[in-house]
Amino acid sequence: MSPQPAKPMKDLVADGLWRDNPIFRQVLGICSTLAVTNVVLNTVVMCTSLTLVTAISCMTVSLLRHWTPRNIRMMVQTLIIAFYVIIVDLILKAYWPEMSRNLGPYVGLIITNCIIMGRCEAFAGSNPPAPSFVDGLFSGLGYSLILVAISVVRELLGMGTILGFAMPYFSSDLWDKWVIMVMPPGAFFTLACMIWLCRSIKKKEAKS
Amino acid sequence: MNGIGSEMWLALVTCFAAIFTQNILLTTFLGMCPFTSVSREVKTAAGLGAAVVFVMTFTTALNYLAYKHVLLPLELEFFRFILFIIIIAAFVQFVEMVIDRYSPKLYQNLGIFLPLITVNCAILGASLFMVIREYTFIQTIGYGFGAGVGWLLAILAMAGIRTRLNESRVPEGLRGPGITLIIAGMMALAFIGFTGVLS
Amino acid sequence: MKNKPFFAVVYMFIVTAFFSSILILFAQLTRERVEANKQLAFEKAVLAVFPETAGVEKKNIHTVFVEQFTEDKTSGAWLWKPSGKLSGYAVPIEGKGFWASIKGIVGVTIDRQTITGIAFYEQSETPGLGARIVEPDFCGQFVDRKIAAGDSPIGIKPPSETLKDNQVHAITGATQTCVRLEILMNDGLKQWQQSMSNGGPQQ
Repeated sequence: MSPQPAKPMKDLVADGLWRDNPIFRQVLGICSTLAVTNVVLNTVVMCTSLTLVTAISCMTVSLLRHWTPRNIRMMVQTLIIAFYVIIVDLILKAYWPEMSRNLGPYVGLIITNCIIMGRCEAFAGSNPPAPSFVDGLFSGLGYSLILVAISVVRELLGMGTILGFAMPYFSSDLWDKWVIMVMPPGAFFTLACMIWLCRSIKKKEAKS
Repeated sequence: MNGIGSEMWLALVTCFAAIFTQNILLTTFLGMCPFTSVSREVKTAAGLGAAVVFVMTFTTALNYLAYKHVLLPLELEFFRFILFIIIIAAFVQFVEMVIDRYSPKLYQNLGIFLPLITVNCAILGASLFMVIREYTFIQTIGYGFGAGVGWLLAILAMAGIRTRLNESRVPEGLRGPGITLIIAGMMALAFIGFTGVLS
Repeated sequence: MKNKPFFAVVYMFIVTAFFSSILILFAQLTRERVEANKQLAFEKAVLAVFPETAGVEKKNIHTVFVEQFTEDKTSGAWLWKPSGKLSGYAVPIEGKGFWASIKGIVGVTIDRQTITGIAFYEQSETPGLGARIVEPDFCGQFVDRKIAAGDSPIGIKPPSETLKDNQVHAITGATQTCVRLEILMNDGLKQWQQSMSNGGPQQ
């Protein structure tokens, strides 16, 4: 939790997307979203909500950082995050009821997502609003990148479609659909392979 | 009398379903963060698991009462996210204080896990599922307990497997979280086998 | 002053009050819309069970619903009268699914022997698995299925079994949802048949 000195924006972007990507660095925050990664559309909506909530919460935490007493900062952060999550939930309920029903309780679970808390604690609490916003935004995007990739693999192998559109080969009779991919174990396997892949690439990068 | 009896039976079924067919960790992926990080040793896993069972049973029940008797009459259902978190945090704090005061020994074993629990998504998740599934009070207790036991079971099994794994040669990139997830996947596969036992 | 305990309490109170009031305002603003969405989803499901009304444009759903459907208070079903003449029944079904309640409509022909269609307006089954009950691949199977006499009017069977004329295939991987759906559909249909045999609606 060392207070970072002013970092150039470019570094914040690279950190969030790749170098410090929350998922394969620490395997954090997958809980709330992994369950909906069997359909690409649900994942995209869920990840967009999460990214926006992360960015705006970080900015709000940062705006309030001079007034917030240290001993209650966790509670204030939780409150701020919950506030934005409820707003997202209400917007979905009012303007996209089908999606709201599909995601069920998972929208609410964004509150306990460790990534948002982590970014608020580690960065937003000691930095000005604008960099905090960028930091939150790109941490969220880095996270979304991996989950959307997982969902593409799962939907394609499990149902032969992407975003509901039938894919050539995979939706024909030639491809025996792997139903297990849409079921929970598929999520574990895909995520494990994804982490394996990313870590191996990183190792190569470090060597060269 | 018959009403109570059938309700108890329903609660029992809900409890077993929550442990096996709808295991909160293996089918809804809640509580993954501590699952991957605290499952290295059987002893710590058991401690955390026991704390989860305890906290989950009581917080789902408390949240049920708060939701049914406070939020619903006031038509403030959307407030449940905030209220549930506050109740969970307050409950954990309270238990910590009580244990510290009356049983320092238990506190040493269990106490360090309690703060970890407030941010465990499985705890909030169980309360949210309870609302969505429209359980009755007795069912809620059965569900909260079952979900906790299910989580305990999963993390214990994982810790057991992982201590064995220390000896084996795992590909470098897969070490740590990677292999944990693969094992979790296999466990989930096995748990699917329970489907149909309870319906 | 920032570190005094009373400041923390006052601060927490102010922040909570501020955010809560915005939320309450926001919820009030969207409440009507949420209610309207619910009603529309219900009306859409009712129209969807009859081939003739299934294709109605979104903006006309409400007018068609009001013009052609009336509720039959004794049996709980909705009567379809396209031109004043009773042409079918829309029977509501409801019950516990794998996650939360499933609510839907079954369309039945005037002779009460055949299903014309089925639609769901409320469900929270697992996305990609149980939630696929709303997809045409699954719902479409019910069209022109018979309603059998006896204890199980319809049946949802594993994809490997050959079907009788009152049965459809379940969704692979969503056994739990399909088992519960079969129960709640049969309960709904039987209940409706019973209330109909105690003197049906007047035409």
